[in-house]
Amino acid sequence: MTVSPIGREIDRVDGPLKVTGSAPYAADYRPEGLVYAYLVQATVGRGTVRGMDVSRAEAAPGVIAVFTPFHPLPLKSPSGESGENYSALQDTAVRFRGQIIGLVVADTFERARDAAALVSADYTVTPSRTSLADAGPGVPQGLVQKLAPGVSSIDAALASSPVTITTSVSQHAHHHIAMEPHATTAVWVDDQLTVYCGAQSPQRAAATIAARLGVEPAKVRLICRYTGGGFGQRSPVWNEALLCAAAARALRRPVKLVLSREQVFTAIGHRAAVRQTIRLGAEADGRLRALSHDSDGELPAAGGWQMMPGRDTSAVAYRTPNIRIDQRLVTLDTPPTWSMRAPAEAPGMFALETAMDELAVRTGVDPVELRLRNYATEDPVEGHPFSSKYLDECYRVGAERFGWSRRTALPRSQTDGDWLIGMGMASALYPAWRQPASARARFRDDGRVAVASATSDVGTGAFTMLAVVGADELGLPVSSIAAEVGDSALPPGGVGAYGSSVTTSTVPAVQAACRAAVKALVQSAVDNPRSPFAGLAPATVRYRQGRIEANGRSVDFRTLLRTMGVPHVEAVSTSAPDKSASQYKFHCFGAHFCEVRVHRLTGEPRVNRFTSVFDVGRVVNAKAARGQLTGAIIWGIGHALLEADPIEPDGRFAAASMADYLVPVHADTPEIDVHWLDRPDPHISEFGARGLGEIGLVSSAAAIGNAVFNATGIRVHDLPITIDKLL
Amino acid sequence: MTQYEGITRRGMLGLVGAAAATVPLDSGAAGAQAASGEVTVRMTVNGSATSLTVDPRVTLLDALRERLQLTGTKKGCDRGQCGACTVHVDGRRVVSCLTLLATLDGASVTTIEGLADGDRLHPLQQAFIEHDGFQCGFCTPGQIMSAAAVIAEGGARTDAEIREQMSGNICRCSAYPGILAAIRQARTEMR
Repeated sequence: MTVSPIGREIDRVDGPLKVTGSAPYAADYRPEGLVYAYLVQATVGRGTVRGMDVSRAEAAPGVIAVFTPFHPLPLKSPSGESGENYSALQDTAVRFRGQIIGLVVADTFERARDAAALVSADYTVTPSRTSLADAGPGVPQGLVQKLAPGVSSIDAALASSPVTITTSVSQHAHHHIAMEPHATTAVWVDDQLTVYCGAQSPQRAAATIAARLGVEPAKVRLICRYTGGGFGQRSPVWNEALLCAAAARALRRPVKLVLSREQVFTAIGHRAAVRQTIRLGAEADGRLRALSHDSDGELPAAGGWQMMPGRDTSAVAYRTPNIRIDQRLVTLDTPPTWSMRAPAEAPGMFALETAMDELAVRTGVDPVELRLRNYATEDPVEGHPFSSKYLDECYRVGAERFGWSRRTALPRSQTDGDWLIGMGMASALYPAWRQPASARARFRDDGRVAVASATSDVGTGAFTMLAVVGADELGLPVSSIAAEVGDSALPPGGVGAYGSSVTTSTVPAVQAACRAAVKALVQSAVDNPRSPFAGLAPATVRYRQGRIEANGRSVDFRTLLRTMGVPHVEAVSTSAPDKSASQYKFHCFGAHFCEVRVHRLTGEPRVNRFTSVFDVGRVVNAKAARGQLTGAIIWGIGHALLEADPIEPDGRFAAASMADYLVPVHADTPEIDVHWLDRPDPHISEFGARGLGEIGLVSSAAAIGNAVFNATGIRVHDLPITIDKLL
Repeated sequence: MTQYEGITRRGMLGLVGAAAATVPLDSGAAGAQAASGEVTVRMTVNGSATSLTVDPRVTLLDALRERLQLTGTKKGCDRGQCGACTVHVDGRRVVSCLTLLATLDGASVTTIEGLADGDRLHPLQQAFIEHDGFQCGFCTPGQIMSAAAVIAEGGARTDAEIREQMSGNICRCSAYPGILAAIRQARTEMR
């Protein structure tokens, strides 16, 4: 009997390739005749390119072509997509500093790079709008409001509350910093394009490339079997990849374009800067009467992702009779914004959970107890019950594992030598999202079953998820499954690797495909004249753990396929949420507990340890789940203590390199105790998995900020929490 | 940084490379500058004698990736800020993006492709799999090459020491706890 691999500690199936350096990423392909491209970017914040001198570049050794707005590569305008709202090189407008204004192609990387530095441009410069504070308040986008009967406004509800808290927080632009800089290798064979390019949604990306190049969708294949991180940055297609494909078409030879790390900061979208204000009205015992959440998020004139940090956070988190969420967007002349891991939830819950901690301090109610007093069992605005919510258990288990009872509420009351010790907590939530998804299962005559879905494994563990679920469904060892993702040519209907939705959506599709493939295998066994089961009624033939059995005969599928002379038998299935799902609110939940130390003399903040407990439904692979949750908590350390890219008045990012934009390193990483409740969600699917790639980041920064307050008595509202703010 | 400053810096790199290549070396003929301005470098890569004639601006990283098809070594920043390109030169860990090929005449280079013993994974490679010391895998070759050198240098005695010594290798997926556990395990096996 095969033991089910579900929920166990399974090694990643892509591990051997990754630890030996043999997994091919986009820039690792080297087709015959390959040439190299390099970007030229605008050096002013806003204006017009009056003219460009490309003569020195064109005369440089090895240069094949220089493309500019005055000698463009043809691209169609984007239509109906969010993200960048223009196509590069199609006009002379400069929308932001770092916009692509040229592409140099040469026979070697060094020659392309150095020739690009020989291109000069003259600009007409107009002033840039870059300050969120100066340009706001923004244009209201999504007002969410629910008032109790007889309450005239949120202000009235707040004014009549015995306790009120007003807290304003801000954060600068954040960057994804996927370790693989954006890279594209484009190869045309006749009129068929193959693009090797990291993508979170290979089929959507291939369709976008086809549309923007003006070719039939069937003419473009995108391959991204291995992708060096996504985090949202690789869900749209950016102008750089389009230019690379267009250059390869124009020059009739393969072109590779790898952005420099510095170019990624502006050519690729960032998480919008955002300012938020939370107002809480409560009874003296901490029970909420009113919650107001206002936000002003950066929305670049060049296009981007809309920063709406209240909708999935304050509108969902706590029981309260009066809620108002006012999300505004401010137009700035900054590089495009884009969704970044827990895109709105990380900033939104930092604001809310900071305010809740202030309410705990003001009312003298323990932070965990305060959250239990305001526990929501249904969506506080729409009234739908949560499909499955064990957040109260997360608080209890987390507090126990962490030793929360040892905390003292009074700031500066615990020390360790010259270090002030503080403990803080915060609750986390993230929407669970099931999309329609498809998968293919294929019994092969080499004795393995290929399980495929056109999603992407950007480090999330999707390869291994397919293998584990396929193995479980078919009663085979994980090693008997060949998992395939990252190719737009796989059957239509693969979901994008965003919104923590791949596992939630794809597991049911894999199960359905495996069941359908078994059915097809049985049918083939009774239909094929060379089969030992030929002529039997399908109902009398059964599949068990890789074997076909009937009339006392048992044959493994490899032998059966070879006997029949059939190389493979397959099925493709699609699976979508039930209609009944609309009556529930689907969310993941969690509770973070954190201990920090802040140096009494230098103000240096360090994280000592984290305990986080999550309610994420059923877990497919414990190893990958722990990696995702732990990694996201470490992102919270970056959010709280390190990450910020302020923008200067001329539109230049002040920290557009990995030396200046700090992300957590080994030495920033403490002991992290991650635990999950294994409670399948009964309403999201038969399997019961909800996504877990982002929730670890939600509120981990707030837990750190709350612990810093407990250590020092200083509440830092403007992230990151740096030494200067603690002295 | 403006575009103009960029030219200056890149120009500098080119000059440094050319200068290094024309310095007469003890071995006499080695490191000779070719007629076209290119430099010939003879070195050992993963145990094999290799000779390359290249533009003096070429870094070890780009030589490995674009000339020798050893693409396991990754370019994460090209500025020595992320560690993804870490390889061993004469047994020491270096960031190959800041190492000009022209300076390596007579050197011995080991990359991630040369770490395993045939089909048998190096203890660190096996430990990275077992402890899930990676997610996207892009920084992994650099992490493993760094870790191998840290252990060999005797700098992996405590968790704090491993964390400090490995802080030049950024993993944005933040698989740091798994990497730490993997190094602890391999440290014992490599003795």
